[in-house]
Amino acid sequence: MITPFLLATLWVADGPPAGAPGGPPLALDCAKALVCAHRGAQVVDRARVVVRDGRIEAVGARQELAAPAGAVVEDLGALWLVPGFIDLHSHIGGDFGINDMVYQANPELRVSTAVVPENANLRRALAAGVTTILFIPGSGTNCGGQGILLKTAGATFDEMLVREPGSLKIAQADNPARWGYGMGRGMMNWTIREFCSRGRAYARAWAEFESGTGPQPERDLMFDVFRDLYAGRTQVSTHTQVYQVVYNTLRILRQELGLPTYIDHGEFDAFLLGELARELDVAGILGPRSISSQVKSRGVDHDGKIIGLAAGWQEHGLVEIGFNTDAPVVPAEELPLQAAMGVHYGFDDARLQALRGLTIVPARTAGIDDRVGSIEAGKDADLLAVRGDPVDPRTGIERAWVGGRVVHVSTQGGRTW
Amino acid sequence: MVTRSCLSLLLLLAAGCASTPERASSSGLAAPGFKPRALRAGETGVALQCSKIFAMDEHDHIFAPGTVLVRNGKIEYVGPRRAAPAGYEVHAFEQGWALPGMVDLHSHVQGTFDINDMVLPINAELRASPAYVPGNTSLDRARAAGVTTLLGIPGSGTSISGFGVLHKTKDTPLYDTAVIADPGAMKVAQSYNPERSADFGSTRAGLGWLLREANERAIAANEAGVVDPRLENLQKVHARELPVLIHCAGSDGVGKAVNMWKGEYDTRCVVSHGCFDAFKIAPYVVRMQVPMNHGPRTIDFRVSREGRFVGTAGEYLEAGARDFSLNTDAPVVPQEELFLQGTVSARYGADSYSMLRGLTIHPARSIGLGDRLGSLEPGKDADIGVFNGDPIDPRTRCELVLIDGVVEYSRTRDGQLF
Repeated sequence: MITPFLLATLWVADGPPAGAPGGPPLALDCAKALVCAHRGAQVVDRARVVVRDGRIEAVGARQELAAPAGAVVEDLGALWLVPGFIDLHSHIGGDFGINDMVYQANPELRVSTAVVPENANLRRALAAGVTTILFIPGSGTNCGGQGILLKTAGATFDEMLVREPGSLKIAQADNPARWGYGMGRGMMNWTIREFCSRGRAYARAWAEFESGTGPQPERDLMFDVFRDLYAGRTQVSTHTQVYQVVYNTLRILRQELGLPTYIDHGEFDAFLLGELARELDVAGILGPRSISSQVKSRGVDHDGKIIGLAAGWQEHGLVEIGFNTDAPVVPAEELPLQAAMGVHYGFDDARLQALRGLTIVPARTAGIDDRVGSIEAGKDADLLAVRGDPVDPRTGIERAWVGGRVVHVSTQGGRTW
Repeated sequence: MVTRSCLSLLLLLAAGCASTPERASSSGLAAPGFKPRALRAGETGVALQCSKIFAMDEHDHIFAPGTVLVRNGKIEYVGPRRAAPAGYEVHAFEQGWALPGMVDLHSHVQGTFDINDMVLPINAELRASPAYVPGNTSLDRARAAGVTTLLGIPGSGTSISGFGVLHKTKDTPLYDTAVIADPGAMKVAQSYNPERSADFGSTRAGLGWLLREANERAIAANEAGVVDPRLENLQKVHARELPVLIHCAGSDGVGKAVNMWKGEYDTRCVVSHGCFDAFKIAPYVVRMQVPMNHGPRTIDFRVSREGRFVGTAGEYLEAGARDFSLNTDAPVVPQEELFLQGTVSARYGADSYSMLRGLTIHPARSIGLGDRLGSLEPGKDADIGVFNGDPIDPRTRCELVLIDGVVEYSRTRDGQLF
């Protein structure tokens, strides 16, 4: 309980708030913490999460974890703490100047120029617990450019920035067919192989130069991003769906070109490739569609049944399954609803897979699990206080912290959704 | 800053504890003098052993655990656990929550879509029933989601598009065995869609005149004691023999609909949709005692322009709406996602338990079937859904559906359709 003594302690606190950079440490006591670590226990009952300078310092059972000296202890009562949600397919980071369809492939373009901090869509996403997004270019061409990983809170670009480039967006079929005279899949796959092969050669030349085994290559801004890709500093987020297209994602991007990549969308009957994706260590970030049913023009039919995509991928052997919104296609604030509907359509949630698909799975997929995605020591204090299972759509976010700062309180400023 | 948030959090927790809807009862619901007895030849009996039963009766009985006994298609007992009499088909669930079959008063998936003959601006002589296809795939999915009764209605292309059919979602090739009432209710469209028509009646002034003129002719025919073949069913609406469902949205459209159909003509009217900013006149709708059948939109952002999303179901409840129900306007929202209208309304602030009432007893009562459907009470049709958890939580699945006491869907028998 919050005692008058504690209230008095908080009242006199001056300067940066507890938990935030420069402030005193903060110990958050809660009924349950769903920590979502990649391995190990997922749930800590009667938990304490210690936050210092914007990062998680420790997490454990309250009896076993003393609050550090000078810490402000806050009892959240019956509330649970869960990690902030991560959406790896989002277009609401700012304005919509994200689809310059100059060439058929534009790996040099960056959406970072379009970021608008604290825009209304971001505020609603935050109020629904979405604390990190991958803001990516559109899919009007085979390569729309580079996305950026952002926190949804922060008044400036620098405060929001998690990583740039957040990803290279490659769109393998469907939407990019609109470019030019109307490209077919043969032409599009050739274009992808062509520019990625050139990118690989460029990255290799720089790697050889850096290891002293080759001459200094000429700088080519168009292909610079491939140095990051082949050094494992970023990934290809591949707009890909339907069995044949996803098969080519796995074959061309992953096997032939050796790019770090993940399946973004993964819709229709693509889930049939679950086992191959797992063998190649490729994750599936599913959405905005949650289901697959009959689409005559694509030859997709499941004997008249509706198949849940997450359930389908899971059944076919994929383990690393996350969810996206493609916001604003599905509103950013409905990210947790994507996971709930996954479960509705048969996704096994017995080991918190739905919540993991909103947290640690996308964090690992985007290579930012050193900073976000779970409640573990050393990570950013991006936390949500909830009244129950956050995957239940009826559960509201009572409070949210990003980097140890309170960025949303449901009782203040009115509900935004 | 931190202090204030702590305080408000505390207040919120205190408030949260006060509003638990669950009530239990020690004695069950049954007809006076009820005694369980073995089946006789030619009789059927079903017993559901559940971990939780929402009776959805007037007293909000919840039995956990509990038993429902069904004899010859009708409910005979709902209450604490008791053994099934000899001969009953028993379905026992370790984790099974029973809810009355859900009722959707605004549905267009009864069959083919020949439901919008825009012949004249007023088509009171038309019926949706010729388009009815029993056992179509939309109905299969509805049934597998615990939706057991639909009002299948004509479209909204004209001011009066005809009469809908009230039917169950039974798996039957026979029209007669599925239909509850044909005509079931008249469909009026009072704003937006019917304004598409060309020439006269393309604005609300013209539409209002067309409706008034038709209504006055029907009333005059009733007073003269004659039947006008084209207005026969409209005459029944004015004699209060048939209900009327009115497509209307926006505070202006809903206000006018309530004013006309209740204030002026005192029909058995239900307003359907009530979307956009219509929640702002919810107190008027409540005062006029007109039931609101809400959906497919359950939020407003664009129209009321308060810079936030307004969960409109919660606003109607807050205004004191009594028989508030939810619809899908299927296929606008898929028929099997009727429950999700409740989920999303709860997400946007409405009370979760009230949404369960809005899917069951409220729509049944609104359309005049409160004595037959919508709650688990002795004598009522045995239309029951059993779920492996809270029926309004999307993560739960439907396990079993009874319609008129017959197992019409079983997950173990029929598999999951979705």
